Amino acid sequence: MDRVVCGKLSAVCALALLVGFPVQAQILIGRDRTPPDLAGEWVWQVDEDPGQPPYGDYLGVPFNDAGRLRADTTAESLWGSPEFRCRPHSMPHQWRGIGGARFIKQLDPLTRVPVAYHVQFWRSLDRPIYLDGRAHPPGYAPHSWTGFSTGEWIGDTLVVTTTHIKDGFLKRGGPQTSDMYSMTEYLTRHDEYLTITQIVDDPIYLAEPFVQTTNYALDIDSSVTMESCVTSALGDMGGDDPHFVPHFLPDQNPYVTEWLEDQDWIPEQAARGGAETLYPGYAAGAANRLASFPISPTAVDIEARIASQAPRDGEVHVLPVQGNIFLLVADGTNITASVGPDGVLLVNTGSAQMTSKVIETVSDLAERVAASPRPNSCMGAQCPGFPYGWASPAFNSIAASPAPARPIRYIVNTSAAEVHTAGNARLSAEGFFQRRGGTNVLGAPSNASIIAHENVLIAMSSPNRPGGDLPPESWPTDTYFYKFQKLSEYFNGEGIVVYHEPAANTDGDSIVMFRQSEVISAGDIFSTVSYPFIDVDGGGTIRGVLDGLNHIIDLSVAEYRSQGGTWVIPSHGRVADVADVASYRNMVTMVRDRVASLKDQGMTLEQVLAAGLTRDFDGRYDTYDPDWTADRFVAAVYRTLD
Amino acid sequence: MDKMRFLKGCAFGAIVSLALVAAAEAHHSYGATYNVKDQVKIEGELVQFQFRNPHSFVHIEAPDEHGEMQRWSVEWSGTATLTRQGINRATLRPGDEVILTGRPSRAPGERRLLMVTLLRPADGLSWGQRPDEVTD
Repeated sequence: MDRVVCGKLSAVCALALLVGFPVQAQILIGRDRTPPDLAGEWVWQVDEDPGQPPYGDYLGVPFNDAGRLRADTTAESLWGSPEFRCRPHSMPHQWRGIGGARFIKQLDPLTRVPVAYHVQFWRSLDRPIYLDGRAHPPGYAPHSWTGFSTGEWIGDTLVVTTTHIKDGFLKRGGPQTSDMYSMTEYLTRHDEYLTITQIVDDPIYLAEPFVQTTNYALDIDSSVTMESCVTSALGDMGGDDPHFVPHFLPDQNPYVTEWLEDQDWIPEQAARGGAETLYPGYAAGAANRLASFPISPTAVDIEARIASQAPRDGEVHVLPVQGNIFLLVADGTNITASVGPDGVLLVNTGSAQMTSKVIETVSDLAERVAASPRPNSCMGAQCPGFPYGWASPAFNSIAASPAPARPIRYIVNTSAAEVHTAGNARLSAEGFFQRRGGTNVLGAPSNASIIAHENVLIAMSSPNRPGGDLPPESWPTDTYFYKFQKLSEYFNGEGIVVYHEPAANTDGDSIVMFRQSEVISAGDIFSTVSYPFIDVDGGGTIRGVLDGLNHIIDLSVAEYRSQGGTWVIPSHGRVADVADVASYRNMVTMVRDRVASLKDQGMTLEQVLAAGLTRDFDGRYDTYDPDWTADRFVAAVYRTLD
Repeated sequence: MDKMRFLKGCAFGAIVSLALVAAAEAHHSYGATYNVKDQVKIEGELVQFQFRNPHSFVHIEAPDEHGEMQRWSVEWSGTATLTRQGINRATLRPGDEVILTGRPSRAPGERRLLMVTLLRPADGLSWGQRPDEVTD
């Protein structure tokens, strides 16, 4: 009887266990159901195209004409230039570089919710992929080699969207990218394997997005090492010109089809790339090829993306840059501001219609940076920085009213251009600059000093000025005529040097270097949304523009792997670093050499313009400013060639 | 024993292959940078020898095709490869008169070469004559 009861009880218990255990297993106490974890060490499975195709192999690249020309005219040895020597692989190629990949999962320490994956390669910077829903930065923020990536799980696939990537190469062997493309990656894990599907959407150089897949396998017995950069290799390019830009003139690169000599079964037309060559029905030599294939449209509104670097929306946008320096984007025109305990220094003052908003923004910045009360962090009478009385800082910072922010003390004009000087009079009047005797040069008591090269004063105060007289209150009050002018004392804790760049955009251009903050305000010599402005009648030359760009490059130092470090603020467009300026300098040099080549052959300006020498760069630099077109730039180059 | 030797051989082969792949991948493509079907000869004075990884460099002051003196940068193998071939940091010194042949840069106007042969007439030092003496 007891045995029977016991047996029945056992059966009930066993049943309960059988029923209950799966329930507990499904609940996974202390564990969440998550998408597959990508963390770990992965090795590339080289079962796709090789990472290093022969030079000129454009097979599978959906070029447009601009992309093909850019690839044909760009030299591989650009890698050797000082500004690019330490750059990592480009984003489209990185998955096919050797060394594998490491995924590190970053968790929120309080909730253990994933915040980001960090991906590392043999030759790379840390690449965060943010999973926390943050937005991408504004268009005027800097670009990096790895770009800015956000990820979202769709089922078991992590979909990664990357923007803010520097220009580079689409794949080895010649094809290039602009710096305006988006990349979408689908990272799909199948047990021990990871498939990365990349879609590179660069409408400047591609007729449709470029797609490639790469496979990795999990490997817990090896790990990605670090390739150090050879920073000491300063003379690898040969010659004695550190600013030499290797490149080919259009239609003068004899090497791009050389590889077909051993591959004569490939039609040359197909080997030159193009969207239509990717489709099964493609036959080399067919007429109207592009129209007959279902080309995938780009998802990038490229003109809007370029314009987002310098938004003309009637607003002032603020971006902290480095040290004391802030970028103010005032209706698309950049103003550089040093804000700190000594007051405010502005490089340029923007257009007239933006002055009120600039004054408001600068006042707000000065108050927040240098005059806002901070929470108390020290009690008692011995707190550092408060030697004058019995009151603890709590009284001064919380109970007491903080001192007002110090005003604008200096304005530097990088040129006489109205878009940079129209706010001079009002912003100067808002400021204060103590002069001996208590008055300034106009007899007014306190206007901020306006510094510029003396040719700016000549241009602004000339009785024959085109456009009429400007009010004397807007003229520079402190001019220089040497190669450079140092501020006579530190401002906001750093030295500030104004360099003259002779015969660049005009005859009076300056750049401003903030030595401790490591920021250069470049004026019109550098723009990320248009070709460089050259006012030929105002004394500008192509030689001066290139000298100015090379001077900025010489003054700038990368922080790590050819990026960051010294930040360069253009007159219009996004914050840049030395690699960005070098890329822009390369473009200007290539255009200069192309124009010079045709001019040397005796061609007229009309013939040079008809040759379309900038068509590989026009998608990037000829859409933003209707007043400064590619033709006007080429004409200025033609007229001022040495 | 034989199996052990075989495995060691495989491991060595794998390491060498990796090193070669690494050298080929490093920085830039030789084939894309240099015209490997062409060869030029320069004769001049060595300015400096950078014995380092991933690639070594020899700098030469020598005239170009127009007779104008130029500073040439000649790319060579990394330290491991050169050491195996009997080249070390002290093999070449500033002031050495050398005769080099190399693959020219594809980019017009660029004064860089990929080392093919090196000869120092003063003592007969030569590199590039044996089959394994190839810049990698």
